[in-house]
Amino acid sequence: MRRLFDTGNAAITEAAILAGLGFYSGYPITPATEIAENMSRRLPPAGGYYLQAEDETAAFHMAIGASLGGLRAMTSTSGPGFVLYADPYGWAIGSEIPVVVVNAQRVGPVSGITGAPGQGEFYLSRYPTHGGNFETIVLAPEGVREAFSMTIEAFRLAERFRTPVTILADQLVTDGWEAFEVPEGPGEAEALGLPIPARRAHPGPEFYPPTDEIDVPPVVLGRGTGGACSDWTPTEEGYDTEEVEAQMRHAFRLVYKIRNNRGLIDRSELLLMEDDPGLVLVSYGSPSRVARSAAREARARGLRVGAISLKSLWPFQDRLFPRHRTHLVVELNRDGQLVREVQRASGGRVHFLGRCGELPTVAELLEALGDVAAGQAPRAMPGARESW
Amino acid sequence: MAWRREILLSGFGGQGVVLAGRSLGLAAVKADLEATMLVSHGTETRGGYVRSQVVISDREIDSPVAERPDIFLALSQAAYDRFRHLAAEGLTLFDGGLVRPSPGHQGREMDLPARAVALERLGTDLAANMVALGQVARVLGVVPLDAVRTAVAELSKRGRDKNLAALALGQALDLGGALSAGEGRGA
Repeated sequence: MRRLFDTGNAAITEAAILAGLGFYSGYPITPATEIAENMSRRLPPAGGYYLQAEDETAAFHMAIGASLGGLRAMTSTSGPGFVLYADPYGWAIGSEIPVVVVNAQRVGPVSGITGAPGQGEFYLSRYPTHGGNFETIVLAPEGVREAFSMTIEAFRLAERFRTPVTILADQLVTDGWEAFEVPEGPGEAEALGLPIPARRAHPGPEFYPPTDEIDVPPVVLGRGTGGACSDWTPTEEGYDTEEVEAQMRHAFRLVYKIRNNRGLIDRSELLLMEDDPGLVLVSYGSPSRVARSAAREARARGLRVGAISLKSLWPFQDRLFPRHRTHLVVELNRDGQLVREVQRASGGRVHFLGRCGELPTVAELLEALGDVAAGQAPRAMPGARESW
Repeated sequence: MAWRREILLSGFGGQGVVLAGRSLGLAAVKADLEATMLVSHGTETRGGYVRSQVVISDREIDSPVAERPDIFLALSQAAYDRFRHLAAEGLTLFDGGLVRPSPGHQGREMDLPARAVALERLGTDLAANMVALGQVARVLGVVPLDAVRTAVAELSKRGRDKNLAALALGQALDLGGALSAGEGRGA
């Protein structure tokens, strides 16, 4: 095992290669450019293909093609490129093609601020394409070490569920530096709880079963299985159909293979929640690290605070949230996105602290916790006169 | 007792602030410690700052933010003016050739003549960052100096010998600063 001090972009690259990545395509964008740069150097010697695409839409389509050819495939971008993924993302969902997608969130809207962290694609990652009739799987690492393990996990989930998996990182995760360990091979990775199963191919002929079962092997074309794939509603054999009954079976599968197995996806971390605290800090990504420090510090000062660090965002894990408790949601945006889901899931009072471009400090979170404990909205949110 | 140290290194672009931070982080990792680093830049085209926030601990690091740095290194006036107030409880090292300290700040501060030392002893100010790193590592005390040397040697693409010489010069400077055993906070 090697111990490195490097960035999240480097960790994602190393993890993907360890996971058996066969094809990477992307288009450079801050703060995810170094994934492409590292891949261009590291992937070909490891036996994989690197391709710089003409744009993000093409990049994702190429990854789809590689995945249909039986390779583990990946693409990476930031918010302005993630919106361009909309068309191929739908393809990959509808035709159940495993692809790992990285979105290193920066500050928006539009091009926003390039080299600073944001969290603006919480909902976009849930609805990354048109048409409805699907669930998505979205993971959220809080740092470099977790970006490494989560990338390996993403490939496993993408194949188990036959769907694209988005790693929704932020700039502090991809550009931030941290110590992390790289196992020497799949054997060592498995011993560390990061199994890397062999890529499989569906033998046919019923490639698209109308059930919620997972671990159905992916469809691979051109390997003598007679696999079929198109962007229309498929029959179970993969032929185009316009039958409403077929669409119902297909949509059932796309939604419920994920919804009914959501427990297999979650790795969220609960801190200081054992004594059912009345006040809970909720966050994902890099703010989770500050939130944990703040929760510990608040406890040391006699305030009964717990913390929920979400590691998977979609499907949303409602069961994590204690009913009718007060929550303070911390996000790297000013509008509040996660806060809406927490309100729905908890049914309690939910307050919001938004920052953009940099992390809140522990001191700021402590002040906000004090405000919320006293029954008022965080003073650090100018204009937010009421609870969420 | 778990410990945590926050180091805030700052200057302007091109001074090697980030390389100094990487070297410190890598050295900590080589010494089996935990380390994080956040790098950020001001958005100004001129007169901006580069900031490297390094956290080192003997256990897993939660917040990677150096919000109350134990050591604050300022290699430019803009960085000093912007971040000096954070170091009220820590030690500020400023390069007096580049920074005019302003009165009224809380906390200890000392002139670390990194650029002058590099120019006089090595004939280049390019290695001033390594002089500064040497002093930071000395004052910090929790990362073994030989690990810092190994890290600098590994990360120096060019000018490895000069960087190592500069590091040694910085480590040898006795400015009288040290974090006492009680300084730095629990993790």
